[in-house]
Amino acid sequence: MWYQDSFDVIVVGGGHAGTEACLAAARMGCKTLLLTHNIDTLGAMSCNPAIGGIGKGHLVKEIDALGGLMAEAIDHGGIQFRTLNSSKGPAVRATRAQADRLLYKAYVRNYLENQENLTIFQQPCDDLILENDQIIGVSTQMGLKFKGKTVVLTVGTFLAGQIHIGLNNYQGGRAGDPASVNLASRLRDMPFRIERLKTGTPPRLDARTLDFSVMQEQPGDTPVPTFSFMGKAEHHPQQIPCYITHTNEQTHQVIRDGLDRSPMYTGVIEGVGPRYCPSIEDKIMRFADKASHQIFVEPEGLTTHEVYPNGISTSLPFDVQMDLVRSIKGFENAHITRPGYAIEYDYFDPRDLKQTLESKFINNLFFAGQINGTTGYEEAGAQGLVAGMNAACRVQDKEGWTPGREQAYMGVLIDDLSTLGTKEPYRMFTSRAEYRLLLREDNADIRLTEKGRELGLVGDERWQRFCEKMENIELERQRLRGLWVQKDHEATEKLNPMLKNPISREANLEDLLRRPETRYEDLMSIEAFGPGLADKQAAEQVEIQIKYAGYIERQLDEIDKKKRHEDTLIPADFDFAQISGLSNEVVAKLTDARPETLGKASRISGITPAAISLLLVYLKKHGLLRKTA
Amino acid sequence: MSEKSLSNTETIAAQATPPGRGGVGIIRVSGPLASRAAEKLLGKIPKTRYAEYLSFYDQDQEVIDQGIALFFKGPNSFTGEDVLELQGHGGPVILDMLLKHIVSLDNIRMAKPGEFSEQAFLNDKLDLTQAEAIADLINSSSEQAARAALHSLQGDFSKLVHQLVDDVIHLRMYVEAAIDFPEEEIDFLADEKVSSSLNGLIEQVADVLAKAQQGAIIREGMRVVIAGRPNAGKSSLLNALSGRESAIVTDIEGTTRDVLSEQIHIDGMPLHIIDTAGLRESPDKVEQIGIERAWKEIKQADRVLLMIDSQQDDRVDPTEFWPDFFNQLPDNMGLTIIRNKADISGQSCGFKLSHDKPTITLSAKTGDGMTALTDHLKQCMGYEGNAEGGFMARRRHIQALESAQHHLLTGQEQLLSFMAGEILAEELRITQQALNEITGEFTSDDLLGQIFSSFCIGK
Repeated sequence: MWYQDSFDVIVVGGGHAGTEACLAAARMGCKTLLLTHNIDTLGAMSCNPAIGGIGKGHLVKEIDALGGLMAEAIDHGGIQFRTLNSSKGPAVRATRAQADRLLYKAYVRNYLENQENLTIFQQPCDDLILENDQIIGVSTQMGLKFKGKTVVLTVGTFLAGQIHIGLNNYQGGRAGDPASVNLASRLRDMPFRIERLKTGTPPRLDARTLDFSVMQEQPGDTPVPTFSFMGKAEHHPQQIPCYITHTNEQTHQVIRDGLDRSPMYTGVIEGVGPRYCPSIEDKIMRFADKASHQIFVEPEGLTTHEVYPNGISTSLPFDVQMDLVRSIKGFENAHITRPGYAIEYDYFDPRDLKQTLESKFINNLFFAGQINGTTGYEEAGAQGLVAGMNAACRVQDKEGWTPGREQAYMGVLIDDLSTLGTKEPYRMFTSRAEYRLLLREDNADIRLTEKGRELGLVGDERWQRFCEKMENIELERQRLRGLWVQKDHEATEKLNPMLKNPISREANLEDLLRRPETRYEDLMSIEAFGPGLADKQAAEQVEIQIKYAGYIERQLDEIDKKKRHEDTLIPADFDFAQISGLSNEVVAKLTDARPETLGKASRISGITPAAISLLLVYLKKHGLLRKTA
Repeated sequence: MSEKSLSNTETIAAQATPPGRGGVGIIRVSGPLASRAAEKLLGKIPKTRYAEYLSFYDQDQEVIDQGIALFFKGPNSFTGEDVLELQGHGGPVILDMLLKHIVSLDNIRMAKPGEFSEQAFLNDKLDLTQAEAIADLINSSSEQAARAALHSLQGDFSKLVHQLVDDVIHLRMYVEAAIDFPEEEIDFLADEKVSSSLNGLIEQVADVLAKAQQGAIIREGMRVVIAGRPNAGKSSLLNALSGRESAIVTDIEGTTRDVLSEQIHIDGMPLHIIDTAGLRESPDKVEQIGIERAWKEIKQADRVLLMIDSQQDDRVDPTEFWPDFFNQLPDNMGLTIIRNKADISGQSCGFKLSHDKPTITLSAKTGDGMTALTDHLKQCMGYEGNAEGGFMARRRHIQALESAQHHLLTGQEQLLSFMAGEILAEELRITQQALNEITGEFTSDDLLGQIFSSFCIGK
């Protein structure tokens, strides 16, 4: 039976990718359906209760700059906020917040329910409906069919999930939820390349059975940071601290003794886990000389006693989990509320996707989130937004768009995935971005909001605030450039003590601010220069832009050089073997990755500059040398 | 798309004549900054399309050479861009000094192998039918350049450069880990370790650069390796080519156990002839090592002369009676079959194409057919030598090292004065990028791999 209405965009899955995808499409004016197997788990955090961190915080700010929800939701659901790397430069500073799961989820659900153009429906999706190589809708468990011009699949955490606790294992999505088995087996019939990955969680504990007095308290920062460019500290609920404790030799002995029943070490689990988020059994085996490992004791919310001991993810049998937990300082009497487990799941080789996250094989079908081999809410949300936006572009007959590597971490994420693929759950790190000094949290709006407005993603309120901020920055920089100080200026008395070398020849305020030892705020405290901007975000921008100026320029130069053939398109069905002179190895690599552009081809490991030259010459000879718009 | 967007925005420079001791050596500069290079090197921009006899200056305004300078305004030039050509005396040292001055100018870099022709082709300066030829040129010259780089990267120099790269990676690992994992109690930026390894690196680069500048490591000219079964007459051929008794010749198989090398000149062009141990399964330890070395030489060669006995039936393709050898031979390696001992087999001497391979029948003993061989080698030098010689390879290495040095020093200054870890990280990233030109790529994922295997990271 066909559902009465047909949709522009159908989003399957209500996790973090699905949420941003359906919101983006709806914001752009598309008639959007969110199809989820359970409305009550919309916006649920299936792993640790936190948003942000290095690289991830950058993604959240980018989602926000494009009008997305994640930053706003965590501003309203966060119970401990910190700025990481605050002692280092602004490019690598990142915001991280502990979340109250219930508050976060409630905010997301409420937001979704009130979004214009968005319909929510609860039924597991069982199948995709295709016409030739184009998707035209989906069908659900009870046989209901939905017609859609485009479909965004964001069913990552549930695809053929297999949960392991000790040597026991069973099918399941997140603990407590069913796995999408029918959809997974249906997708296996299609021409996608499918692999397995693995991840894990720690056992959850009852706070009433823990002794916090022997742990180290970790309070949030003051002043309290916010995520959204529109956010205010007043949006935050009550703030509470986290705690830190450590494993010890006894813990490690318990784990070593239990390894014979570990699904990891007995070879039951075949999926590849992340290198940066190893289970506790992995940590003590691989770093045997380390006597102790940190555990972050994170509250799950204001209205629950459950805590998340971050750092002891494990799939050891439950009795071993009990012993290992109780060997830890402060956990001696701990009660485990939910056992830890490892989960294996399917993912789709993201090299089968275009830069817009549309499938290379099935038109109008988009993939976003963990299904593409990533891990993390932020990575999922970022892809969701890009996929939902590109689905909407398709419906509206507009050219698709994905930010480039030089524009956003979103661009780095999607380019890495669609060009190189991934062998482990992909997580963002700042070291993945070659233009790290440009891609900062603080300027995510400057990088993206204008484009977001053009696409219809950014609402009036945000746009007005953005324009006001940009104007403040520009006017203030003009003012600083015009403010000159000589040796005998009245302000030197207060100024010179702030400087490493006293002022010797005429300089304007931008010159002074370029000196590493000066601070905008301090300079503005001098009467002759002040009072400076009241708009804190704009003031911060002025300072950072001036301090990083030389490096920003150099990175822009580098980007310019790389642009040369970056967007030169390689035809989709191109046969690399017909280019004479390419080695078999290069042909195999290119055929495997199917790069869409010369730029992407050049980033594949083992593709030499000479190979790119040969490709270029071939394309030119055959009149195929065209660029993307 | 406008044709203009295809053109190179960068300015590139390289030697345009084959390396070696030719009479005239040409340096070509192509791109928007060609005129600036002219001003710096010649003190003026020569009148477009007129040959002018001028002095060529180095960075210190000293005259390096005198010769003909030509300036072509794009699009009316070989590449379609502004082009400066300097025709000077052909010695490799002078050409190297000129090139050094040019690439020291901001935003001018060494051209990649075959890049001038590639540019010309992309700018419609060459016929579409020449695409295959351009592809071949890019291919062969890249391989040549790779081999030239390998030669330049031998011995101590290679060890030092690789050590340097390892140490840069090691330091980056600490710096990047401190940035990406601030919650892991591994803030190395704050401790002495980072600044002291940075100091060490800066000393190392200075040391490597000094060694590279001495030029002791450089060898110019095409490398020709003589290979074959034991007792095929390889050593006799070396002696015949060099006109000396460098190699001991006996009729006992396995006489040559090590690698012998002779530099000869054919019409003034330098040529390294390398004699190797005969290739066979041998129980003899010393001979085995000799055979290993022989393969090492073969893989670095510009051309291999495979010696076989002309008493062998020439109707059989050599790949058939010795498939093992051909399987191990690197792809696209220049190869000539030498059918020796014509004096015994009575076959007629000279050059012919046989089974698609250049084949020369000769007698190393009597000297019959040797002219055919030297003519053939001369021809090979004209074509294969076209790409890049040791001096170009070394110039690339020195450029990379100098760039690395510059960025290490800036990074050190940033760290010491401002504790700016992310700036140090940026300078180290660029340092590594420069060194990658010598040792090959190292990706950000490789770096993450190093971090995860060295530190216990993760909650």
